[in-house]
Amino acid sequence: MTRASPAIWAQRAFMTLLAAFIAAPLVVVTGVSFNDSRRMSFPPTHFSLTWYKDFFGDPDWMTSLKATLTISSMAALISVAIALPIAYAAWRYRSRVSKVLAGVGAGLFLLPGVVVAVMFSAFWGVTGHVGHIENVAFSHAAVFMGIPLSLLAVGFESIDRGLLEAAKTMGAGEADAFRMVIRPAMTPYIICALAYVFVLSMNEYLIAYMVAGFTVQTLPIRIFTNMRAGYEPTMCVAAVLFMAVGFCIFSLLATIGDLPKLMGRQRPLRN
Amino acid sequence: MSEAVALAAEPYAKRRSFGQALILAAPAIFLAAFCITPIILLIQMSFAHHDDGGLWSPGFELTQYKALADPVFLRVVSFSLLLAASTAVVTICIAFPAAYFISRMRRRAQVAWLVFVLGALSLSEVLIVFAFQVLLSSSGVVVKTLVDLHLMATPHSLYPNLGAVVICLVYLVLPYVILFLYPAVSQLDEEMPQAASTMGASPLRTFFLVTTPLMRGPLVSSAALVVIFTVSSYLTPLVLGRPETWTVGVHLSNTAMDAGDMPLAAAQAVVLVTAIIGLLALVRRLGGGGRTAPV
Repeated sequence: MTRASPAIWAQRAFMTLLAAFIAAPLVVVTGVSFNDSRRMSFPPTHFSLTWYKDFFGDPDWMTSLKATLTISSMAALISVAIALPIAYAAWRYRSRVSKVLAGVGAGLFLLPGVVVAVMFSAFWGVTGHVGHIENVAFSHAAVFMGIPLSLLAVGFESIDRGLLEAAKTMGAGEADAFRMVIRPAMTPYIICALAYVFVLSMNEYLIAYMVAGFTVQTLPIRIFTNMRAGYEPTMCVAAVLFMAVGFCIFSLLATIGDLPKLMGRQRPLRN
Repeated sequence: MSEAVALAAEPYAKRRSFGQALILAAPAIFLAAFCITPIILLIQMSFAHHDDGGLWSPGFELTQYKALADPVFLRVVSFSLLLAASTAVVTICIAFPAAYFISRMRRRAQVAWLVFVLGALSLSEVLIVFAFQVLLSSSGVVVKTLVDLHLMATPHSLYPNLGAVVICLVYLVLPYVILFLYPAVSQLDEEMPQAASTMGASPLRTFFLVTTPLMRGPLVSSAALVVIFTVSSYLTPLVLGRPETWTVGVHLSNTAMDAGDMPLAAAQAVVLVTAIIGLLALVRRLGGGGRTAPV
């Protein structure tokens, strides 16, 4: 065995510290959620599941959970459904129109969250359709559109055009080519885009609050309201639930797709 | 000959544009309704007349923009920009080496880190702010450790203060920047740094003199990303900071939600976005293109 150089040790120390920094808040919230004390204290003294029972037994928290899941699944489906044809046309026809559309779609993602929130609160106010759950879903779909747009563009670019040509020479029609080449190549990217928007929408606070916060209490809104009103251990349970969903979704993604490639790595990676 | 080609191509071109129109109609309608209309509305509202009770009526006046010229608002904007710039510097100093090291790991370690970072990225700002509140409270681990090490005389909470705001903001943007730099960093050629070290440069020297200049574009763009995000941050300065460390984001949403003055909030938003667009143009000049991540 060769001895690692100081540079390697420095690198390991750096990455360990970074991991600790990223993990710290997660560990603290998880620890507090399993503590039996009503006080916000860490490290936990006695292990208990009281707050989990309280959380799942509380109709208010359950209403919020349902609203949040409805909004995020709608937002994910809408934004991917809109982004898919744009990315497809940009790739297949090298269409200028679709490039403009992609630019518009990605634009909101680059605007500050507060600006978008004010914008949508004004928008829904003018339409007269105020305080509905679908308002939040549509707003989220528009804001997070940039993610499916760029992920799907990367996906389409990764399809070998030679393969399409080959399929055509061998007599495959447009539909066949779609079924045999495009669909299998795109599936992981579509799932990744859905998951990404789902998780971001689930965690978004400000837009949801300004658009329909007074009628639809999503989980982040309820957690924040609780936080302001004073500490309550059940909110830690909600927080743990969030983290678990996020990590499960991205782990799942890592098992079904090539995550480094999905994240934009182009060079093949040795094992 | 060329005529024949043109003739043969014509129906294809027609079919193509028809196919395109069919595919792009729905997305175009959606984007016009939910992206372009709200922006136009926001601009129009910034010139509207503010009525009492959170209402406004259409019109064209410059009241709001005149109100923005006051020194308080300008001080808030410049403070926010300063805070954003410092956050950007700190974040990049951590994220750049992190992305570089991750991209050089074995596949399994790399996937694990990506899941970890994506997981952290997806966490709600609400949760992170809350977790930092627990972490920095007077009964939290950090304070306990400091007291045990005799670095703090009596336990007292580490927030609200500016340091807490910066740490939390860095935490929030760090995953974004790591993932943003990841594709560019993983594309970096090994040959140049290798050549540098063969010629006797130390790893640190190689990193700063060879690798960093190659990454200028992505580094500058990611700094811009951090600034956009931080300038308008809302929850973090509100919870972990004092009123004098509130950002434009906090002031803007207070104008909209608490004061109910939508036209003024709209004008503040327009000014903020104009400033950001100016910044991006500047960045384009400085950094040039570079690869960007699907983030």
